[in-house]
Parts: sequence; C-alpha cells; structure tokens
Amino acid sequence: MIVGNRKDFSEILEKLGAARRVLLLGCNECVTVCGVGGEREVGVLASELRLYWTKEGETFEVREHTLERQCDYEYIDQIRGFADDYDVILSMACGAGVQYVAEAYKTKLVLPAVNTTFLGVTIEQGMWSERCQGCGACILDMTGGICPIARCAKSLLNGPCGGSSEGKCEIDKETDCAWQLIVDRLKESGQMERYEEILPVKDWRTGRDGGPRRRVREDLKL
Amino acid sequence: MEFSDRATHSDRAKPIGAVMVVGGGIGGMQASLDLAESGFYVYLVDHSPTIGGVMSQLDKTFPTNDCAMCIMSPKLVDSGRHRNIRVITNAEVKEILGPPGSFEATIIRRPRYIRADKCTGCGECAKHCPVTAIDSYNEGMSRRAAVYLRYPQAIPKIFLIDREACIGCGLCERVCLAGAVDYGDRESEEKISVGSVILAPGFEVFDAKRRPEFGYGVFPNVITSIELERILSATGPHRSHLLRPSDGAIPERIAFIQCVGSRDAKCGNDYCSSVCCMYAVKEAIIAKEHVPFVKPTIFNMDIRAYGKGFDAYYERAKADYDVRFIKSMVSKVREKQGSGNLLVAYLNEEGKASEEEFDLVVLSLGMTTSKSVRDTAARLGVKLNRFGFCETETFTPLATSREGIYVCGAFQSPKDIPETVAQASGAAAAAAEMIASARGTLTTKKEYPPEDEVKPEEEARIGVFICHCGINIGGVVNVPAVKEYARTLPNVVHADENLYTCSQDTQEKIKNAVKEHGLNRVIVASCSPRTHEPMFRETIREAGLNKFLFEMANIRDQCSWVHMRRKAEATEKAKLLVRMAVANARLNRSLSETEVPVVQRGLVIGGGVAGMTAALRLAEQGFEVFLVEKEDRLGGNLLNLHYTIEGGDVQAFLRDLIDRVSHSSIHILLNSLVVDFSGVRGNFTTGVTTAPAMVHQKIQHGITILATGAEEEKPDGYLYGEDARVLTQLELEDRLYKGDWGQISNLSPEVVMIQCVGSRNEKHPSCSRTCCATAVKNALKLKKLNPAMNIRILYRDVRTYGFLETYYAQARREGIIFVRYDPEESPEVKKEGETLMISFEDKILKERMTLRPDLIVLSSASIPRENKELANLLKVPRTAEGFFLEAHMKLRPVDFASDGIYVAGSGHAPKLISESISQAYAAVARACTILSKENLLVGGIVAVVEGERCAACLTCVRVCPYEVPVVNVKGEAEIDIIKCKGCGTCAAECPARAIDLMHFTTGQLEAKVGALVGG
Repeated sequence: MIVGNRKDFSEILEKLGAARRVLLLGCNECVTVCGVGGEREVGVLASELRLYWTKEGETFEVREHTLERQCDYEYIDQIRGFADDYDVILSMACGAGVQYVAEAYKTKLVLPAVNTTFLGVTIEQGMWSERCQGCGACILDMTGGICPIARCAKSLLNGPCGGSSEGKCEIDKETDCAWQLIVDRLKESGQMERYEEILPVKDWRTGRDGGPRRRVREDLKL
Repeated sequence: MEFSDRATHSDRAKPIGAVMVVGGGIGGMQASLDLAESGFYVYLVDHSPTIGGVMSQLDKTFPTNDCAMCIMSPKLVDSGRHRNIRVITNAEVKEILGPPGSFEATIIRRPRYIRADKCTGCGECAKHCPVTAIDSYNEGMSRRAAVYLRYPQAIPKIFLIDREACIGCGLCERVCLAGAVDYGDRESEEKISVGSVILAPGFEVFDAKRRPEFGYGVFPNVITSIELERILSATGPHRSHLLRPSDGAIPERIAFIQCVGSRDAKCGNDYCSSVCCMYAVKEAIIAKEHVPFVKPTIFNMDIRAYGKGFDAYYERAKADYDVRFIKSMVSKVREKQGSGNLLVAYLNEEGKASEEEFDLVVLSLGMTTSKSVRDTAARLGVKLNRFGFCETETFTPLATSREGIYVCGAFQSPKDIPETVAQASGAAAAAAEMIASARGTLTTKKEYPPEDEVKPEEEARIGVFICHCGINIGGVVNVPAVKEYARTLPNVVHADENLYTCSQDTQEKIKNAVKEHGLNRVIVASCSPRTHEPMFRETIREAGLNKFLFEMANIRDQCSWVHMRRKAEATEKAKLLVRMAVANARLNRSLSETEVPVVQRGLVIGGGVAGMTAALRLAEQGFEVFLVEKEDRLGGNLLNLHYTIEGGDVQAFLRDLIDRVSHSSIHILLNSLVVDFSGVRGNFTTGVTTAPAMVHQKIQHGITILATGAEEEKPDGYLYGEDARVLTQLELEDRLYKGDWGQISNLSPEVVMIQCVGSRNEKHPSCSRTCCATAVKNALKLKKLNPAMNIRILYRDVRTYGFLETYYAQARREGIIFVRYDPEESPEVKKEGETLMISFEDKILKERMTLRPDLIVLSSASIPRENKELANLLKVPRTAEGFFLEAHMKLRPVDFASDGIYVAGSGHAPKLISESISQAYAAVARACTILSKENLLVGGIVAVVEGERCAACLTCVRVCPYEVPVVNVKGEAEIDIIKCKGCGTCAAECPARAIDLMHFTTGQLEAKVGALVGG
C-alpha cells in the first residue's frame, strides 16, 4: 500500500492562501487504510479548517467528499457536478491521486494535503514500514525476500557496509540493517550459498533513472 | 409480613427457588448476580448500610492497578437495580430454621431513620446537618454529618442517621422535601423463605493495637494499610494527596511492616493472610506514582506473590519503582523525638540489629473475622475453624458444616478479590444446585404492552421533563426558565417540571403525557443515566415506546452540583445541556432486540478434576453435558496424586467422582479431540473426533468450559534424568505411596528439596503456586515414615498462603530445615563417582554447605498442557506462558472475553485441588446464566457496518477488544450483533467512517456538538 503523512495544518493553511471555498477530497484506498486521507481524516481536517476560520471570523465553505479512488478517472468524474463551486480542491490522496484530479479539472487549483512517503506494510495498528521502491527489476529471490534497495539506507547490493552494528543501521537505532536481515533469513531458509553470488551493478533504467514510466498491456486494452 | 403466605402454603417437599446471600461485598454481589441471572430470587443481606464491602474502600487493585471503585460500581448498580435481587441493608441474620431447601430465615433490620421508599439520595439533609461525626469509610481520618451516605456511589442510595452522633435538632426533617426523615423508625424483624444460603460476610482487618511494639495509636505516623489505601484514594481524606498524619508533610521514606496479625502464633493468628504482600507492593507502587521521590521499603519474611501475574508485578516493583525489600521481621518501632519520624528496629541480612529512620510506617494488617460474624455463625450452627474462619473440607470447599448453607470469600479463608469472585460464583452454583428444580418459580419477568411503531422518517414529538431534585437542581438552576426554553426548541411539543422526576407518581405523569401529547421521544433532564436511565426507559416502554427513544440530560451532577455558586451561568448551561439532548433525541431510533434460542446443553473440554466437577455440577443442575477428554481415561493430574496436605485421600475422591460422572445427562467422549468450533454464546457447534476409529461428530451446545489443566514440567538440570536419586515432587509422591524406596539404606537419610525449579525465571516468570505446599506435604510425609530423616528445603520464598501456613510451621517444628537461596546463586548438584553432591549458600551460617544427599527432590514448575491449537480454534487468548487469559484479572476470573466460554482449573493458572473444584463450580454458575434462559436478547446498542464504504483496512478487526469484526468474503467488515458489546471502539477508529454505533451514531454526536456550539 501507499503510505503517507498528513501535512501540518499551518502548511495547508499557507497553501490555501485566500481560498475559502474548499472541496476537501478523500480517497477510500491506501490513504484510508494508513489513516491519512479517508473519510474520517477528511472530517478531521474539515473540522480543523472550520474551527480556525470561525475563530478568525471569516466566511468560508468546506465540503467533505471521499472518492472510492483518486487514481481512476471514472471516480474523479463523480465530483464534476459541484467541483466548480469551490475555489480549490484539497486532495488527501497520494501524489498520484492529486495529479490525476488536477489533470481532470484543468482550470481548478488542486492542492495536496498529504505527503506521500513510501510503499509499505502495516507493522501493527498505527505503524507502517517501507518495503518497496518500485525499481522495476525485482531481486527478492536473491536476497531472502528482503529488499536491499528499499531497506538498506545505501541500497547496497552485496552485503552490508561498515555502519552495520548489532543488527542495526548507523542511520538510527530503530532501523534494522537490511543486510543483517538478509543474512539471517538466508541462514534460516538454508540458502546461504546465495550470499556468495555477486549481484551485478544494477541497471537503474527500469527504475526512476530511466525517466517517467508507463506500462501498456495490449491484451487488456479496449 | 411477606413470609406468611409463602412458607405456609409452600409444598415442603419442593425446594424454595430463592437464596439468601449474607454479605454484600464483591463476593456477595457476584453470587447474587449469578443466581438472579440463573432464575433464582435473591435476598442480599448486609450488616452495613450499603453493599460494597471492603473493596469500596480500596484505592487501586493489584496486579492491574485498576481503580477498585471504577471496576466495582457496575456490580453495585446491577445488584441494586436487578429485578430479582432484594437488597436488605443495615441488617443481621438472627436465625435460620427448617430443613435445607426450605429454610426460614429471620432478619433483623436496624432502624435507618430515613424511609427507603421516600429518600431520593439528594443529600440535602447532610448539607444542613450541624453535627460532625467520625467518618468510618475514611477510617476515621475525615468527618461527616450525622445523616450520611457511606460513600457517594453507595447502593442503595439511601441516607441514614447515625443516632449516636445525632443531636435530634430536626433540621434534616425540615429540609427534606421528600419527607423521608423518620425519627420514630424502629428495629424490625422479617422472616424470609429461602431454599439455600450463601455466607459471604468477608473479613475484618486485624486490630493493630494488639501489636503494641509497633506503636499504632501512640505514634501518629504509624498507620495501617487500609488507612494508606484511603489516603491514596481520590475520595480519601486528602483527596489522594500522600500526606502523613502528624504534620501533613509528604513522607519520603515509607516502611511497610508485613505480617502484622498474620503468621503470628502469639496473637493466635498462625495463618497467612494471603493478600498483604501484594497489597503492600501495590501501595508502594501507587505511593511512588503519586510522589515520585518516595522511597518505599517493605520488611517481610517471604513475599507471597503466588497468584497469576503477581510475580511479574513484584519484579516490576523492584526494577521500575525502586521498592526495597528487606527480609526481616521488624521487632520494634519508636518515635524519634520532635520530628514525628520513626525508628524501625530489625535484624539486617547480616544478622546485625539495626535501626533505620522513616517518615511513615505502614502496618500491613492481616485478615480476621469479626466478632459479629463469628456470633452469627454460632447462631446459624455453622462450624468455624480454630481461627474463626468458616470450616470447609478439601473436596467440598464451598460447603459449610450445615447442609444447604454455603460459603465464599475471605470468610472461608483469607483471599484476594479474584479468588473471592470465583469462589462466589462457585457458591452460587452450589446453592443453585440444591434448589435447581425450583428454578424460575420465584423470579419475575416484566410483561410490557405492545410497542408503537415509530418510523425513522416520522416527525419527532419530544417531551422534556425537568427535575428540581428537591433543591439539588432547583436551588441553583432556574428550572422554570429551562422549561420555557425547552418549549422553544425544535420538535419539543411538551415540557414540564417535577420536584422529583424519579418518584412513582411522576412515572405515571410521564406515561400520561406520552399518550396525551402523542410523544415519540422523551427527555428527562435530571441526574445521571448511570443510576436512573434504566428506570425511565422502563417507564416509556410501559407507555408503549421503544426504550431507545429515551434521552437524558444530566443537569445535576454535571451542572448544579459543580456550579453551585454561579446560578445564572448554571441555568444557561442547563439550557445548553437540554438543547444537546433535544438535538440527539431527534435522531434516536427505535432499536429492536431480537430473541435467539439457547441450546441448553454444555460442552466441557478436559476430564480432570475441574472438568469432571464442572460436568457433574451442570448435570446436577439439570443440563445435558458433553465431556471431552483426549486421554483414554478420566482423572487428569489426579491420577498421579495420592493425598492432600490436609490428609485427604485423593484416589478415593477420584474414584467417587468418576463414578458420579457416569451420569445419565453426561456424555463422556474419551480419546477425543476438538477439531473445529464455531458459533456464539447460546449456540455453539463443535466438531469432535474420537480415536481409534476417528469418528467425527458435531455437538450443538450453548456454553463451553475449558478445563484442560496443567502438568508438572520435566525439569532441566540438577542431574534430573541422569541420576535416579533426583526426582520431581510427583515422582516422590508416587514412591511414597507405593513404598518403593530403591537403594536408600541409610538409617538417617539426607533429603534435599529444591523449590522454584523452572518457575520464577526468565522463561517462566510466574510462581507455580502449589509447589511450596507440596514440598511441605511430602516432607512431612517423609518425616512420618522416618523421623530420623534429615530434610532440607531450599527455597526463595515459602509461599504457604492461607491456612497452609500451619503446615509450614509444623514442618519447622518437626525439624525440617528451610534454607533460602537467591536465584543468582542457585544450588549446584553434581556427582563425584557415585556420590551425589549438592552445594548451596547458607545465609544464616554465611557459608557454603556441601551435602551428600540420598535423594534430591525438585519442585518443578506447573506448565499448561498443550492448548495452543484449542485456543486458536476457540479464539481465546493465552498468557505469554500459555495459560488461558480470562476476560478481567480481577472481576471476571472464569469468563473469557467472548461470552459463553469459561475457564476452570489449572489451565487458568496452577491450583490446588480445592481451588480447582471451587473454580469448576464458578464456571458452572457463569454458564448457567446463559443455559438457564430459553432465549437471549441480542441487538440494540451494537456496531453496524455500511459495507459499501468499508475499505477492508482491518482497523476494526485489530482494535475490537472482543475480537468480533471479521472481513468477510465480500471484502467488507462484518460485525456479529450477537457478539458485539456496543463499546464503540471500532466506530471511533474506522478511517472510512463505515461503522456506526447504534444510539450513539456519528450523526448524533455531531448533532449534539452542533447544538452546543452551533447555536
């Protein structure tokens, strides 16, 4: 799932500038699950805005609306009827959703309320952790199912650096050393011979370095 | 009198379907609620003016640090308002005549001088009373009026006059608008007919003045443990500020002296009071939480942290709270002149006499029985033991010497809250069993008129009734103004005011108004829904409205009481509270509660003592039972035991029990395993496979009791398994029984027992509870066989709690030597050639001893039998050590969080046989609250999912404390209304707002807040 963080209220206010008619747009997918942009969070941010502007004695209108997904145009189309009544669409989706809404409403100011952070998993209720960077060429078969690209601070491909200490990464004590995890996992699953295999220099063109990516499946196209 | 028609007309052969419970503490309340919920009428008689007992005086409870009052008050309220419980306070039982099943009890009620039928509990009388009397609730550390309520949450909430303090000025009579004061009240006698009786009179704390060397009553800063409990409490004399009596200073150095009035032959109390170690640790922790610089020291002989989770609590006290434990009995306390500080004299661990200065000394007082309880027992013909506690037998721990009279709680032997609660349920089962054929004959069920349908789209027609509560509200809030204001609110078609809205005539008035004005919502603006909502709901239900169309605004506790001096603002706030209630009531909907049938059969898993007892007791109460045992024979651990410490013959008991379990209502399935499990309380389906043919069958049942037990762990180390002379206690017991001594030829054999083998360590942090007593039992047996035997028991703390202490004392008298060791320097066992050697530190001799024992006996840990798969199937939680985890450590000791599943025996935590028996009875009592009903009511205030909005994020699944929500095949959360308890956690947490809690919907909360701030 895509995980995000809501922006600080002060930053959101600043971005809104003079706009007082706000369509606050939630998304019922990843950002709902990671507790950052679902209907409840839309309600919370809307209340914050209303309280603030009421206190400031301003006139305003905040409309709450949550779409099933902001990454499909059919859903985005559902706000067509009333989007024009607002100065600004404040999207609580991930960066993909914000952009797609902006594409669909070319004349509207579309603002992000969320910082999109990573692709990850739920560790426990209220805690998420990064697992994938979408490099486009998966090597998890070689690394015991633990990704050194996403989980090693340096994205090292052939064993840890000198900053690995007692299983932790030198960047902070909370972060596991990915290579420690990989070695432990390889040992546990009896695949230590994989550790001996040298991974070649990675061709980053399948990832972000090759520029924006696009995917087409002819068989699915209409 | 009420008695006459019942006793004279009743058929003597048929039992009476009512029970008298004597004592309304936590045990008495639990027993009463279990009985009343199982179809028996209950008379709950308490000598005090309120029920609640000693627990009402406690601040927090160990090991969870729950607030005692917070967890107890729901039981107080439930007992007070239950249709089939009559609470009789300020009363004594004079005598009980007649045969069991058909007793006639005489109750003497002392005058209250306040009429129970008129007092509304408003407290106006106490406000005007000019007298100051000593407040016994706060242990004499604060004052109260002569007309008083023992504590604010008291049930019944009826004042009384302390005539010894009262000067008869008549002020209360004049200010009481309800006309409840009656100076002419007299003692009265009443006869009641009951089938059986439960004695739950509890305990009295030891009189600290009987140990004059500690200076209680002489030095002001020597206080008792119960006094400290009150000092720490928010309702205590200093509102929870930790202040010492002499000068109101915060005491930094606090000494706790253990065993004051316990383990003390000099004062005749040579038993252990079982709870003082833990409450001292708790008080030390709580004191430290109140004032972080406090330095508590606990002087003790042994720390008896033998209960579930207790050792972890004790370890936490040492590690996280810096509580200092000194193994020494204090010999004397004297006051340091001028400072009020105290000098505590004791022998330190080096054996030197020393004296240390403290700011406060707390005496950890033991449990005794009161004279009035002992006198009552004598009048009732119930035998007491030599310490004045109720005498019971090992295999019948709930029965007194008089047939038909049962016992529970501290009166049976000193015990803590959870054990009291479990035993109370147990006594309820025993008391119910003997009158089971009269179930439902004396209880009443309310019949209501048919309900008028109120459609959601129908325009709300709201009636608002505003209460003066005497002058409680009316004296502060301008009630007529609030009434006029209410009339202006949307959908309000009727508003009225009453002197006491809770009075009987007002109920009629409300019902008439519903008819006359066509009301479809009713609001009462008065006091707390906690105490009064059920009554008002019943009123509107009688008027033909769904009970959920009622709403309350608390303009007393949350308005007039707290804004007494600001009348104008209080009136404005009352208006706002009414406005919020109106906004909410408009959105109230009729909620239906549906009846689902109960399968009146039980399933018991595990055929040991607990399982067999539970099955038998269910059968004797008239229910069909399936008893599933995985082995090829019944008996469990009992098969390996031969005698109890008291001398009971275990095998004879077991044979008799197995015999009785061959009961026409019990289906015994040996060699059988539970392989699947589904359903909810009242209607479970369990799949059982039976070897060797692997026959699979589905069993339908309404309740499940888990009694899978524990077993002795095979020890690790100490040459166990390598040398035949190293045994476990169970193996020793077997040898003792068979007289099989192998190679011991020594005339005065040397035997060493090692305690805590595999217990109280990192892997298994808990105490195994029974091993100290077992070691003492087997040591005494050895000594009897051969008095020349030298027996040493190496221990960490000797935990012979309760009356087991007497056997520990006996063992020492008989020359058995107890040597304490620290876990850091555990005894070492090795072999030199064929010679077995053990070496250990002797703390008294201060040297290392090496012995050549003929036998080493290991007191090995009790570990749960394999239960992980079963726990997964039944979705019941376990502790880190694998014991089943009950719903609440304190007050729901045999229930699981999922309704209809109960735990009994050592699978819950290690237990003695008598304790397993008590707990099995307890599980039966809890089970009967379901099995005794033909139907269960479900629905009402439950969480409802709007599937389309659900993002299947699993938040509800994770946050539900009862594990109710599941994500179904449609990928939507689903909540079973039969299991849902309506706590609302999921509704609050749902990030997609797909869940709403009925009656407390998000829309309603928003409407309320909108009405408050929106204008």
